[in-house]
Amino acid sequence: MMKKKLLAMTLSMLMGTALLGGCATTTVSEDGGGTASGAAEGTEATDGNSSDAMKGNGDKTLNVFLYMQEHEKEIYKGLVEEFVEEHKDEIKEVVFEITTQDEYNTKMIANMTASDMPDVFYCAPADVRKYVDNGYIQPLDDYVDQATVDKLWGTTQTIYRYDGTNIGEGSLYALPKDFSCFAFAYNKTLFDEAGLDYPDPEKPYTYDEFIEVCKALTVDKDGDGEIDQWGVANANQFGMTPYLYSNGVKFLNEDMTKVNVANNEALKNALTFYTDLTLNGLTPSVDQDAALGGYQRWLDGQIGFYACGTWDVAAFMDENTFPYEWDLCGWPVGPDGDGRSHTWMGSVAYCISKDTENPDLCAELVAKLSTDEAGQKAVSGITTGHSIQLPNLRDLAYGEFLDAVNNGELPFPSNVRVLFGYFEGDDAYEATLQETDYTYNAEWFTPFHTGVANIQRGNITVEDFLAEVEPEMQSLLDNAIELQGSAKN
Amino acid sequence: MAGKNKVKVRMSEMAKREERWAWLFIAPPFIGFMCFMAYPIVFALIVSMSRWTGINSLWGNIVGLRNYIEILQDAKFWQSMGTTLIYMIGIPIGMILGIIIAMGLNRNLPGKRLLTTMYYVPVVSSLVAVSILWAWVFNYDYGLLNGIWKIITGQHGPNWLGDEKMIKISMIIFMVWKGLGGTIILYLAGLQNIPRDYYEAAEIDGASGWEKFRNITLPLLSPVTFYVLITSLIGGFQVFVEVQVMASNGGPNYSAATVVFYLYEKAFKNGQLGYGSAIAVILAIIIFAITALNFWGQNKWVNTDI
Repeated sequence: MMKKKLLAMTLSMLMGTALLGGCATTTVSEDGGGTASGAAEGTEATDGNSSDAMKGNGDKTLNVFLYMQEHEKEIYKGLVEEFVEEHKDEIKEVVFEITTQDEYNTKMIANMTASDMPDVFYCAPADVRKYVDNGYIQPLDDYVDQATVDKLWGTTQTIYRYDGTNIGEGSLYALPKDFSCFAFAYNKTLFDEAGLDYPDPEKPYTYDEFIEVCKALTVDKDGDGEIDQWGVANANQFGMTPYLYSNGVKFLNEDMTKVNVANNEALKNALTFYTDLTLNGLTPSVDQDAALGGYQRWLDGQIGFYACGTWDVAAFMDENTFPYEWDLCGWPVGPDGDGRSHTWMGSVAYCISKDTENPDLCAELVAKLSTDEAGQKAVSGITTGHSIQLPNLRDLAYGEFLDAVNNGELPFPSNVRVLFGYFEGDDAYEATLQETDYTYNAEWFTPFHTGVANIQRGNITVEDFLAEVEPEMQSLLDNAIELQGSAKN
Repeated sequence: MAGKNKVKVRMSEMAKREERWAWLFIAPPFIGFMCFMAYPIVFALIVSMSRWTGINSLWGNIVGLRNYIEILQDAKFWQSMGTTLIYMIGIPIGMILGIIIAMGLNRNLPGKRLLTTMYYVPVVSSLVAVSILWAWVFNYDYGLLNGIWKIITGQHGPNWLGDEKMIKISMIIFMVWKGLGGTIILYLAGLQNIPRDYYEAAEIDGASGWEKFRNITLPLLSPVTFYVLITSLIGGFQVFVEVQVMASNGGPNYSAATVVFYLYEKAFKNGQLGYGSAIAVILAIIIFAITALNFWGQNKWVNTDI
């Protein structure tokens, strides 16, 4: 009897352990085998996963593994089909497998664990160091000519370079699929109602000017004694840093080994400015924000200013989603910085496996996906009228793309100059990668962005918060540095 | 002794064939167990002693018991463990409510089947879907609860998911609601298993309703109670989905995060698969110990003779 009980207990525990242990041993669920015949047939799942096999007459097989949305997939699939046609004597098959963004990292870790890497896959700026140090990707220098690289925006030429020590220098490891930045947007309709002048795209507001405008936009519209329209709404994780960067804030020292927040005057001033927006009622309160986020309130016309990523433009231009007039502007500029408006940028790029048997062919495919002019015209909306991203090709952006915007052929806010300014880094604007993109993980920043709500609730002062949070951030950064170094073990 | 007396029995062809068939039948679950249980467990144990990130070398980053030592000093681990234990307040609440409702349903009331189905619906519903639903029920400005609260008191209700204490209460309410149907069904089956004679004999002896419940119903339901307790405790240590959906950043100041939520964040958000595996192993040991303790103590209160 006792033995039976023990056996039952042990088995039930083993099942429990396996459930938990299984969390650490990711498995790949293959969606679609891609074993179709014909030029381009494949399997399509309703969950965002698909696999297409495009066949030629040659003997080389390329496996491409990416994530993208449905409307993008058609454009890129077309480019791959063209590529197979152009190289049909070399290529036996290109397996074009697409998954969702959520599943992508898990599947990639499984591929790495199994040493079964696709030939072409994605790499974000934050991945370059990890992938290179662990021997997963190879430089493109020998396969992509300089003329192709020169067509790209300056920033996307540098963020995928790595010299073994520093990001931004050395060999080029990837070509951009897209790039974006978190600009600022304002609701023109609310400005008109308040009788305010629109923001000047050439000269972003100062902190003080911004507060005055927000005060004018914060109103009790229905006269019930409660504010129902606010100057601005922010998301603490991503919507906060542009205010701080625009006051010259850096969270880490030069070599990214020490957290510098407790005795950082620029940060103290910027964070005070940022949290005062909430404490003074110019943004929804923390409780109100938890009930209905800033994004939804912006869409409902309750907010004067809100962040706008390049990926948001299509939704904001859609009258059914956002029935208001709006345009782009810069984040407000603090007194302690370089006088320019700063924001963070993001990008994802195509890279090629170090183990691929066909690096030259992979590099050609990557170059086509990244820089093919017809493809870029389609994804940027020049030929489709629906912009998913800005063109990767700088000249195309300043030429046909801008013309399409100015002619009204492409729905896009007229102050597109703000985005260009951020990417170019001109006299008024600059976009940079976040510091978390340079460290092994972003965990060290979590105590900061999650703790800011305590200041906004009035539970702690800025000074006390910064002094309190620094040791925890430093400890987590030390972990990240150790993990970063583990690639060399 | 047994070894010395071993007698070699010559098997007939038929017996051999039967044995081969037996092995064939045993093979699929055995292979399944080895591949999907034993291997992951051993692998997780090895990973737990490393700084493996999923992309670096596992064997080049073995660090012995360092992860375990760090976990024991990790304030966030203890905070999430504390929250996990607090959520277990819902287990006795669910059991008491389960017995009461099951006893009600055990009488031949009109609408009994409808009520049983209603109570069971949350159990068969998708956990993600009902978590999203309850996130809206708990919504500070637009939620059903605060709507009712305002009608009754005229005041704005509490911030169920935005306050460190209230979010724990909200989670407990949700978990009790979600698990109640299963508990009711089990208790109902248990109640229907108790012979009527016991109650009739007690009535002849003049026992009151409470005495019958205390001395007949409760003891004879103890195997069900034991089962519900064990499964709820194991489930209670593995709470994850509802936290991920209702408080995706772990709630204000990480007040809603459970151990498995913390494990997930460490392993998959921050790429520390070694550390995450060590948390999984510690959690498995705790679950094992508590279950063992329960099995050991069951002789004192679980009645298996009907």
